[in-house]
Amino acid sequence: MQLEGMNETAHTPTITLADIVAKTSDLPSLPAAALAVMRETDSPTGTAQSIARYLSQDQALTARILRLANSAYYGLSRQIIDVSDAVVVLGMRCIRNLCMVASTYPWMIKPLKGYGLGPREMWTHSFAVAVGAQLVASRSRASSADQAFTAGLLHNLGKVALSIWLEDKLPGMLAIACREGLTFDQVERKVLGFDHCDVGAHMGEGWNLPKPLVEAMQFHHNPNACDPTNSLVDCVHVADYLTMSMGLGLGGDGLRYDFQEEALARLGLTSDHFDELAESFMVAYEQHEKLFEDAA
Amino acid sequence: MAEIQVIRGTGQLTCLGLGSCIGLCGLDPVSNVAGMIHVMLPEAFQAKGEEKPGKFADTGVPALIEAMVRLGANQSRIAFAMAGGAQVFKFSANNESKLDIGTRNGAAVAAKLRELGFEIVAQDTGGNSGRTVIMTVETGIFTVRTVTSGEKTLCNLRG
Repeated sequence: MQLEGMNETAHTPTITLADIVAKTSDLPSLPAAALAVMRETDSPTGTAQSIARYLSQDQALTARILRLANSAYYGLSRQIIDVSDAVVVLGMRCIRNLCMVASTYPWMIKPLKGYGLGPREMWTHSFAVAVGAQLVASRSRASSADQAFTAGLLHNLGKVALSIWLEDKLPGMLAIACREGLTFDQVERKVLGFDHCDVGAHMGEGWNLPKPLVEAMQFHHNPNACDPTNSLVDCVHVADYLTMSMGLGLGGDGLRYDFQEEALARLGLTSDHFDELAESFMVAYEQHEKLFEDAA
Repeated sequence: MAEIQVIRGTGQLTCLGLGSCIGLCGLDPVSNVAGMIHVMLPEAFQAKGEEKPGKFADTGVPALIEAMVRLGANQSRIAFAMAGGAQVFKFSANNESKLDIGTRNGAAVAAKLRELGFEIVAQDTGGNSGRTVIMTVETGIFTVRTVTSGEKTLCNLRG
C-alpha cells in the first residue's frame, strides 16, 4: 500500500482518486440489473413488465428480492413466487428500493476497519440515512422519496472503497482533526488530497448513476457547495445529521462533521420542528429495521 | 432504544451507540437496584412521553426513579452518572441552536435530576464521539467506551 508515513502531519498525497478505484480489490459494485431497474423506474416509459424482465436476468438478485418480498415485514397473505408477481403486488417504487437494499447489503455488512466500523455498522448507518432521507423528502415534498432513499443508501459508498487505505491511520487522522480543529472530511482531504465524498461520486459516475445521486454522494457533508442546489443532497445531509445524532452506525469519525442549517431552510423545514422530526425518524427507522432481519 | 431498564442484584446495564442521546444510569448500592435510560430528546411532546417516557429527559428521569423504587430502591440513596450528548463538529449558523440536541439533552437530564434533588456523581458528555456505556451492578463501575479511546472507567456509583 502506498499510503505510508503519515505521522500525524500533513501528507503529500501518494495515491490518486483513480488509484483508489483501480487498485482496491473487492470494490463494491451494483448489479447491472439493479441499475436497469433504477433507470426504468425513473423513466416515464418504464413498466412493470420491463422491470420484471431486467430483474429476471439476475438470479441472485431475484432470489434476494423474493426473500425480502415474502418476509414478515410485508406481511403478505400469499407467497410471491416470481418477480413479475412481486412488481405487481408491491409496486414499482417498492421494488426499486428492495432492489437497492438487496444489491448493497452484501458489501455494506462487512466491517470497515479504516473507519472503525464493525460488521453491519456501515449498513446500519446507510440504511438509517436512506429511511431518514425518505422521511425528509416526504415532509418537504422537494424531492422524490424513492430517489432520496437510494441517495441515502449510497451516500457513503466512498467509505467502502477508501476504508482499506485508511486501516491503522484512524488514530493519526483523528489526532490531526483535534489538533487543527478540522472535520473528518477535511482531514481526509488534507491527508489524501480527496475525501470519501469524492471517491463515492467518482464511483457513482463510473456506474452511470443519475447526476442527482452522484451529487448526493459528492456534497452530502457540504450541501451549500452544490450549485445549483439539489434537494436530494439536502435531504441526505439532514438525514445524515439525524442518523449521527441518534448514534446509528457511528465509527471513529463519530459526529466530526459540520451541519449546514441552510439545507433545512432550502427544504422548507425549520429547527422549531426538529425534535419532532427526530422522533418520527426513529419510529420510521425502527419500523423499517425489520427489513434488516430478512435482507440477508 | 429508549426503554427503561432496571435490574436488581447482579448484572450489567448497557446503552449501545450513543450519539447525541444520553445514557443515564442510577444505582442504589444498598438494595443493589440499578436502572438505565437512553434519552433521545430533551422534552416530550404531544402524548409521546406517555407512550415511551424513557425517550425524553423530562419524562424519563422521573420514570427511571419510579421504576427503580418499584424494584426496591430507596430514592434517597440513588447515585447517578451519565454519558453521551455528543454533537456535530460545527453548525454553520454558529450560534446556540435548537438543533444542538446533544447539549440540550445533557442539560435537560441534569436539570431534571437537580429539580428532583439529585446530584450527578460523574458525567462524560459533549464532544463528537459516539459512546457505549456499561454499568456493572456488583462493582458499581460505570464505564464509557468509544471507538477511538477504548474503554475507560468514569466512576464508581458505590462511592
